[in-house]
Amino acid sequence: MSLKDAKVGGIYQVVGMQAEKKTMRRLEALGILEGTRMEVLNRKRNGTAIIKVRGTRWAFGSDIAAGIKVEEYAV
Amino acid sequence: MKASRDNTISVGFVGNPNCGKTTLFNAYTGANLKVANWPGVTVEKKTGETYYKGQKIKLVDLPGIYSLTSYSMEEKITRKEILDDEIDVIVNIVDASSMERNLYLTLQLLEIGKPVVLALNMMDIVEERGMELDLHRLPEMLGNIPIVPVSARKKAGLEVLMHAVKHHYEEQGSVFLLPYSPEVEEKIRQVEEMLYKKRSEETNLRWIALKILENDEETLQEFPIDSNSILDKDYEKMIINQKYDYIEEIIEETLFNKEQKEAFTDRVDRVLTHRLWGVPIFIGIMALVFFLTFTVGDALKGIFESGMEMLFAGVTDILVNFHISEWLISLIVDGIMAGVGGILTFLPNIAILFLALAILEDSGYMARVAYVMDSIMDKVGLSGKAFLPMVLGFGCTVPAVMATRTLANEKEKKRTILLTHFMSCSARLPIYVLFASMFFGRYAMAAAFSLYILGLLTAILIALVSSKFSKEMSKTALLIELPEYKMPNVRTILLYVWDKVKDYLTKAGTTILIASVIIWFVLNFNMQGMVNDITKSFGAEVGKWLVPVLAPAGLGLWQVGVALIAGLSAKEVVISSFSVLYGINNINSSGGMSQFSQILAGSGFGPVNAYALMVFCLLYTPCIAALATIRRETRSTRWTLMLVVFQLVLAYAVAVLVYQIGSLLI
Repeated sequence: MSLKDAKVGGIYQVVGMQAEKKTMRRLEALGILEGTRMEVLNRKRNGTAIIKVRGTRWAFGSDIAAGIKVEEYAV
Repeated sequence: MKASRDNTISVGFVGNPNCGKTTLFNAYTGANLKVANWPGVTVEKKTGETYYKGQKIKLVDLPGIYSLTSYSMEEKITRKEILDDEIDVIVNIVDASSMERNLYLTLQLLEIGKPVVLALNMMDIVEERGMELDLHRLPEMLGNIPIVPVSARKKAGLEVLMHAVKHHYEEQGSVFLLPYSPEVEEKIRQVEEMLYKKRSEETNLRWIALKILENDEETLQEFPIDSNSILDKDYEKMIINQKYDYIEEIIEETLFNKEQKEAFTDRVDRVLTHRLWGVPIFIGIMALVFFLTFTVGDALKGIFESGMEMLFAGVTDILVNFHISEWLISLIVDGIMAGVGGILTFLPNIAILFLALAILEDSGYMARVAYVMDSIMDKVGLSGKAFLPMVLGFGCTVPAVMATRTLANEKEKKRTILLTHFMSCSARLPIYVLFASMFFGRYAMAAAFSLYILGLLTAILIALVSSKFSKEMSKTALLIELPEYKMPNVRTILLYVWDKVKDYLTKAGTTILIASVIIWFVLNFNMQGMVNDITKSFGAEVGKWLVPVLAPAGLGLWQVGVALIAGLSAKEVVISSFSVLYGINNINSSGGMSQFSQILAGSGFGPVNAYALMVFCLLYTPCIAALATIRRETRSTRWTLMLVVFQLVLAYAVAVLVYQIGSLLI
């Protein structure tokens, strides 16, 4: 599934990423890579989401959220 | 140690956005650079000076960045500056309350090989949250580089930091290089060898090698080596991963009681960024801002007015007593004092508006607005990020247009510039305040606020229409940090408001003063010289041409035509012009208002006309300063001129519509 469909309050692990090269590089530099865990703090119906990763909150547009493939992380 | 030019140590301030970098810079230099809680504020470097024990230290404030890649404009500027020979010491400002993210940049900075001093900012937040940071273990894990706790807001630790800078520079003390996995280290060694054959003079081969392994375009261009044979894997990911692994280790060993009090921001966000309530709350907050601007500003206005009245009376007395020629008295009293003085009484409103905007910005709310508005902006083909320049537009169109630089592509930038203008800037506020108060009695505030909403709706509508016309819609992906909410800092906010107040006073003393003198001149002279009857002046002649054109919009008074033309210099000048036109001193006082509204009513100018006038002022061509900025940012005179024509047509059409429909209803 993609982050776009993630549940609010859930903790997920990144299993794959697709984005424009530039966006991809930025995400990676922010420490968002395969294997990274993130918490979904909020999400809108169109997929725009607030996530918390490595202690920082980020707002991701729906296009970015759609490109981040995640699976639920067993807590 | 290389011989430094005239014994000055040059220090580069580098850090993540929102880490308090600019506040720290201001604490040293006493400058008041604008600090804002969203990225892209420091888009160019700023320099200042400080002295430590007789040592001159040059400080360079660089744009906030998350990493040393070369993708965003900020990254490019900062990277170029710190790699440049001119910077002797890097001061890396780290937000201690979000170390995990900040330390990534730190590890990269250390790899450059220049002396790095770490300034740990926001320790007070760390303590507030009940967290503890092991200040003994932290430097150990970073190769014993100097780490100095500072408080940019409270101005604490400043001396110690500069001491560390001087000492670290003179000793050329410890460096720290993160060891990578054997596989990566082997690759680094290979690349270093290849580089050494070609560029043995380079001192930081490891840094260059790492950048090559990261497939960094700028570095590969500068150091063309046969990278294909080396880049057999995605080393970039490995390097990033291993850095973050090490950061996790650092956090594990130095930071205690992590998760205690963080819930506050999350609790607030649950409300403010709510799926359904987010947008209404934003509109509510803007309404509140406006309400305060209107009421508190009005309450303070009284003090201003009595002062202004005394000044008017005093100056007039003096001028009359000194038997100064009549035209000069007229210039000073009817021209300058009416024009400039009328504008000065709006100062409290303006100050309150900027105070409120500064509080919203400093508390961390503004970044949320980008998220909240993203779904609406999405529908019109823009990113939520484009909404930030629009919010700035409530203050002034000039910085709003400049802020569109943070948008990735030219098309989106232009579309956003088109919209920023429809956010009612603070210069339009006096027009709304005055005309709404004069004609709408107890509904004055609602009438004025409706213009803010109308502006917003117009912007959204235009974005929607323009999105239908451009086929390929590429928009900047929304990717923005949402900082922790914090109590706004009084000093930061007062500096910001003072800056805006100064701007306003400067504008009153320059643009508005000159405009008032010109208006006075065109209204008191014609080809024959000075006239006694204002209707025979140059100004009246020009205004009269416009009467038939403006009449369908309910603006068929020659005075209105003159005021609107004059308003192109600055929107406040519309008010100044009316003051000069009708010879009203202190137009914003109750006396001035009743005098003015009676005159207008006498020429058949009622509430519907007043509303049409406000609508026209909302929509028509921005002031010269804004146009110059738009021209500069778009680098297109043609586009700027098209914008002018479009806005004039739009303003006219909507004003006509408002007036015609309004007249039918009333």
